[in-house]
Amino acid sequence: MKKYHFVTVFDLLIEYIRDKKIRLDKSRFKDRMATYHDPCNYGRQAQRHFGHGFFEEPRWILSQCMDHWRDLYPCQMNQICCGGGGGTLTTGYNEERIFYARRKFDQIRTSGADMLVVPCHSCHGQFNAVKKEYGMETLEVKYLWELVADCLVVG
Amino acid sequence: METDSLIALNTLNHGRCRTWPFLQDFCLTCGICAGSCPASGVDGFDPRKLLRMIALGMEDVAVSARWPWICTMCGKCANVCPMDIDIPGLVRRIRSLRDREKVPGITHKGLQAALETGNNLRLPKDDYVFILEDVGEEIAQEPGFEGFSVPIDKKGARILTTIHNKLVNTHTEDLKHWWKIFHAAGEDWTVPSENWEGTNWGYFTGDDAAMKIMTGRIAENMERLEIDTLLWPE
Repeated sequence: MKKYHFVTVFDLLIEYIRDKKIRLDKSRFKDRMATYHDPCNYGRQAQRHFGHGFFEEPRWILSQCMDHWRDLYPCQMNQICCGGGGGTLTTGYNEERIFYARRKFDQIRTSGADMLVVPCHSCHGQFNAVKKEYGMETLEVKYLWELVADCLVVG
Repeated sequence: METDSLIALNTLNHGRCRTWPFLQDFCLTCGICAGSCPASGVDGFDPRKLLRMIALGMEDVAVSARWPWICTMCGKCANVCPMDIDIPGLVRRIRSLRDREKVPGITHKGLQAALETGNNLRLPKDDYVFILEDVGEEIAQEPGFEGFSVPIDKKGARILTTIHNKLVNTHTEDLKHWWKIFHAAGEDWTVPSENWEGTNWGYFTGDDAAMKIMTGRIAENMERLEIDTLLWPE
């Protein structure tokens, strides 16, 4: 049987950075404060089901792009879900989904960050859809790979 | 004491809603799951109640309730459960028992579209290729990305990527991030022209058969295009 390999978004970004295939400019967001959200499936659920949660990898990548970022509390295995997982962005139960996010936004507000970095399409969609409900319209929600692309040194 | 007369143990169906045997019967009713769940309180929901429902044989009520669909299957409950019960797995199993036409929102409809057309949007191949090439041309106009083009169906490339349907729908700008990184890294990559859907909504609806088909199509693309490595889809 033919075997295929796979890489996660984290593996590939780390490979590019470690092997110096890409160069990053840390000064791009030097005046910004970021925080990182652990998606349930990349973190806690991956740890449970596959024996490895992707906690350290995204934080290492984030540190290659920015000097100023801080973790939410609690995070990693005890992280709080954004409320957009499990298909809730597509079930039409929107009020429930907004209510769900209340604790997450308390965490983000407490962190003092003006940029939220996430490596998950569902989380990204949920944060952008809900941030206005919690008075955080100006919070910039950024994919982890978007942050890397923004910091690329090209040419 | 005649315990059998007090607790009708023989009426419990241990195969019910299981992700493994006796799942719900391990519950100690401590309620730590309920305390940990951000959805507790919505419609009177909490994970402990749902678990008790199943243990007590109220399967029909659980299957028709909104509760299993309000849960995001985040796993916080399972992480704190002293008996290590896979509550999200149970929720997913309950979802799978819902009549497919009664799956809420667009979740099953999107999945159905994907099974029939290869993507959740029913986006025709020509339109899809047009969007990719259009966004590719925009990147090529940026300094440092001259000569960029989107390698669709490139045989023998090192890496195959899939596409999240929203990126060829309302969020085409977000296609650019990975493509720029690939370009800067000199990566040998490709994206398929058919069956490119990166989401697998059977995960949400509890539809294992559909998930297998969607996953199989990615493997078919890898075989057809002679690709070694898949960038883990959405």
